[in-house]
Parts: sequence; structure tokens; C-alpha cells
Amino acid sequence: MATFPPLKTGAVAQYPAIKSLRFQNQIVRFVDGNEQRYRDSAGPLHRWVIRLDQLDETELASLEDFFLSNQGSFASFIFIDPWDGTSYPNCSVLSDQLQLISIEELQNTTSVTVTENRG
Amino acid sequence: MYPQLTTGAYSQFPLRKQRRTRTVTNMAADGSSIKLADPNAAVTEWQLRYEGLSDTELSNLQQFFAAAEGSLNGFTFLDPAGNLLAWSEDLTNAVWEPGPLLASAGGVTDPFGGNSAFTLTNSGAGAQSVTQTLNVPTGYIYSLSVYVQAAQPTTVTLLLGSISAHATAGPNWTRISVAGSGDPTAASIPFGIELPPGAIGVFGPQVEVQAKPSAYQKSTTGGVYQDARFGDDTFSFATTGVNRHSVTVNIVYANHL
Repeated sequence: MATFPPLKTGAVAQYPAIKSLRFQNQIVRFVDGNEQRYRDSAGPLHRWVIRLDQLDETELASLEDFFLSNQGSFASFIFIDPWDGTSYPNCSVLSDQLQLISIEELQNTTSVTVTENRG
Repeated sequence: MYPQLTTGAYSQFPLRKQRRTRTVTNMAADGSSIKLADPNAAVTEWQLRYEGLSDTELSNLQQFFAAAEGSLNGFTFLDPAGNLLAWSEDLTNAVWEPGPLLASAGGVTDPFGGNSAFTLTNSGAGAQSVTQTLNVPTGYIYSLSVYVQAAQPTTVTLLLGSISAHATAGPNWTRISVAGSGDPTAASIPFGIELPPGAIGVFGPQVEVQAKPSAYQKSTTGGVYQDARFGDDTFSFATTGVNRHSVTVNIVYANHL
């Protein structure tokens, strides 16, 4: 399985980096105001927002190629959490859209949101 | 054919490029999902901003827009931010045409520390080449670059149409390049590398529509878009001084068109 491509430095993210985790709980509310909550999933799913600046053309092309080879949000890949090094084996790009901006030579920027999948 | 500027450049900075794909997703309540890809729905868009265009350059763009009748008719567009060659890290792919006595072996350590380089071995008595032919405007200026390496100093030849440029491959990876135009009467340009009997390491062949190579960019689909269109039916420009104009142009390429 493919792995999210690191930059030339070996890092996969730059500051500011955003990480979130999401549960999938359900709430049943009763007419007297009480409510009952229950888990509707096996556990949390993680999501990472990776904003990358000052990339060179090689790094940008590598990310673009990765997006294309995954057909956007379709395919799954392994993502290594840059916070703790945990390997998440079933992740995908969240969006079917990737914007690549070349400000000048060796000054390229893009942003990718990676989401963990279940099932 | 989308016009080049008088400098030989195809675009200016800043340049925006957007890739869009389509995935049909059935999301279940527990967060699991079933996905279906739709490769024919992929769209690539470029936003090209030009500043300081001369009267001639503006006129060329304007005439081209008029000839295309806005977004109606398609044209060949070369990705100004990409490698025009397809499968730059797979010299065994069918897009590459090797000589009959040339063998390619992958998995060789490349100059970036990966293992995406190839060893080309010429077992014949004469020179052999590996080329890729692109259906691109032959009158434009292109640069062809490639990393080469050889155990013994070896003279290799870069091929750009009828142009041949010699360079020496040594024990360290070296990036060699050549720039020029194709044969004006031809419909396509072959780009490639030729080597004498023996073996050399090759990595990252790249063709760009500009006179000097930029940093290496890996490619699979290549950067030649045969039926691109203007994204708008309007062409508006601002004149900021004598012989100075600015324009923003949107180009769209859709797989399904």
C-alpha cells in the first residue's frame, strides 16, 4: 500500500499543523428532556490538515502525483502521524480537489487534508 | 496551440493549478464508507496571470482567444508547471521507445536517495537511444534535462528533435540539459537520450516548455493536454502603461470532453 509522500527533509507536515479526532455518537432525546447517548462507531477517526509552504517543484510534483495516483479521495494509503509516529493504515485524502500555487521558483504551496477511514 | 510569450516563457508567476477528481461515496452512520472512483470526471484547471505584456504579446493572446471562440474550441495546452514527459520514473513503460539492443533495469539508487533510477545497458556495437515522442508545437522552445551517472566517464547524447547535445556522465549523478526547438515541418518532437555501448544510470528525464530546466518533477500522465479550453467566454485585460498590459486567463482540461 502507498504511503503519504514525505518532503525532502523527511517531514510530512509543516507548522501550523492541525489534527483532530472525531467520534460518532448518537443521542436519543425524550419528551421529558432526558436523553440517552450511545456509541455508533468502534472508536475515533483522525484527521490531519497539512498546509505546506516553500516547497520546491520536486516536492510539489510528488504531492500532485500522489493525489492523481490515488484518484483524489478514492484510494487508501498509510499515513504516519507527525505528532507521535503512529501508523494509520487506512487513510485517504478528504477532498477531490487539490490546489497547487506557484508563487515563484522554489516557492510553491498547497494544502491537503488526510482523513482516517473505517471499514 | 496556446501561444508562448516573446521571452520563450509560457506563463508567469504566480501560477495556480487545480486538480479535481470525482469520487462517489456512500457514508454509513458508523463512519465507514464505500467509494467508487470516476476517472473520466477528472478536471485540471490553470489560472495564468500575466503582467507587463507587450502590445505584441497581448495581441497574440487576444487573437488566439478569438480563434478559439472563447470556451468553444479546444487547443493543445502544455502544463507550464509540469514535466511534459509521461512516466518519468518508469523507462520500461510503453510510452518510451528503446533501441532494440537497449535494456532498462529499475530499482537503482537515485540522486534524491530513493530507488527510482534506471540502468540503461547498451549491448550493441553502436549507439542506442531511448526516446519519447510528444505531440507538441514544434516551433516552441523546450528544455530536456536528465540525471546521468556512469562508473567510467561516458559520453551521452541528449536528443531534442534533430538537436544532439553531448555531455559526460561520471561517477557522481550529474544533471545534463539541452534547449531548443523541433523541426518546424514536423508534427511532433522526439526527446531522448543516446548512449554508446556500455551501461549508464539515468534518472528523472524532464521536458519543459522553457529554455532552462527547473527542479525535477515526477510525472505519470505527462503535461501535454490535447483538448484544453479557455475557462471563460470573456477576455479582459488592463493596460497599465505604454506597451504594458495585464491579463488573467483560465484554462480547463476535462478528461470527459
